[in-house]
Amino acid sequence: MKAQRFIENFLMATDFQKPVEVTLDSEIRNLPEWDSLAALGVIVMFNTEYNQVIDGNHIHNAVTVNDLFLLLA
Amino acid sequence: MSTSTLYNVRFAGMATCVPKTTLSNLTDCNPQLRSQRERLVRNIGIEFRRINQPWQCFSDLAFDAAEKLLESLDWERQEIDALIVVTQSPDYLAPATAIILQDRLGLSTSTIAFDVNLGCSGYPFGLHLLGAMIAAGGVKKGLLLVGDKSATVDGTLFSDAGTATALEFSEQAPPMFFDLNSDGSGFRAILLPVGGGREPVNISHLVPFRRNEHDEWRSSAALILDGPAVLSFSTTTVPPAVCKLLEYAQVPMHEVDYFVFHQANRMINETIRKRLGLPEEKVPSTLRDFGNTSGASLPVTMTVRLRESLEAKANRVLLSGFGIGLSWGTCLVDIEGACFPALVES
Repeated sequence: MKAQRFIENFLMATDFQKPVEVTLDSEIRNLPEWDSLAALGVIVMFNTEYNQVIDGNHIHNAVTVNDLFLLLA
Repeated sequence: MSTSTLYNVRFAGMATCVPKTTLSNLTDCNPQLRSQRERLVRNIGIEFRRINQPWQCFSDLAFDAAEKLLESLDWERQEIDALIVVTQSPDYLAPATAIILQDRLGLSTSTIAFDVNLGCSGYPFGLHLLGAMIAAGGVKKGLLLVGDKSATVDGTLFSDAGTATALEFSEQAPPMFFDLNSDGSGFRAILLPVGGGREPVNISHLVPFRRNEHDEWRSSAALILDGPAVLSFSTTTVPPAVCKLLEYAQVPMHEVDYFVFHQANRMINETIRKRLGLPEEKVPSTLRDFGNTSGASLPVTMTVRLRESLEAKANRVLLSGFGIGLSWGTCLVDIEGACFPALVES
């Protein structure tokens, strides 16, 4: 449930133009529209939805969506 | 130092000038980019930007703003003891733009005039600097000119503006509170790498490049902006700075009429607003119509969104500038009976 909610928030935060299926195993850099704007959206999502501060290094070090999910305290 | 209070400094007025030429981030670009641009505008919140004519400098906008303000205040030019220009877009690398403007504005040669090299955070620093000179007693009336020429046709974030603020000595003035900070360890987050002593301009910097046929042309002399680093810095630094200043001033948050933040982009500004739990009506924004006008964004927002309220009644306004440096400043100013002419377009 928590993971599903995280993926929904991830999709809202990244605001991709075309629908894309995302699972915890999805590799973020292989998502067709992943870009710097999407990365900013994810940082904001952590801050506003999860009250947690992450920075560009966290995004840089993450390979899959699950790597981001595991950052949740 | 960080926090400080200035006494006997009255906020007398403010004027803002923007170029007439408006660019749309949605339509003034390659049509193939339209879909990308729609997503960008949705997220950064910037649809329109103002851009100078090629011949127009920041100082031309600041000059027009200062002329309008002096005319509205009915101040004698010979009375002005200090002229401080806060910009990263000087007319020349040397001499200081403020000295050139001293002459253009017809101010006395006894005017103290110099530049300060600050960008998005600059307004509270400039206000403190001029305010401190007035509080010390020597300067009775002064002008602060803040802004930049940073818009480019292909960019999407930056917009041009020049602003003028007038301060004067008054024993009846309420105190102004400041919290000013600097962190040079993050200087690479926003960097104009070429043109200074570390890397002088050479011909190779002037050759545009792009990574593929869909990419926009770039210049290696252009501003480098590390988006995630700036976002993290802004959203983690600004909210506690606001709380710190209010605690120092012993002013509860609900007693502040308006919170005016540097207009960075919607993601940053909305995160800051939500972290502080501020209602939208207390946090005016000019991002959609004027973009990121660097150090001018606080005056631009005050002029465009608040001038009627600021002229009509007494207001307590918190101003927060943050960005390149890294640098961030917050100030709390009571404004009453000040002069706010309408936006100037030139």
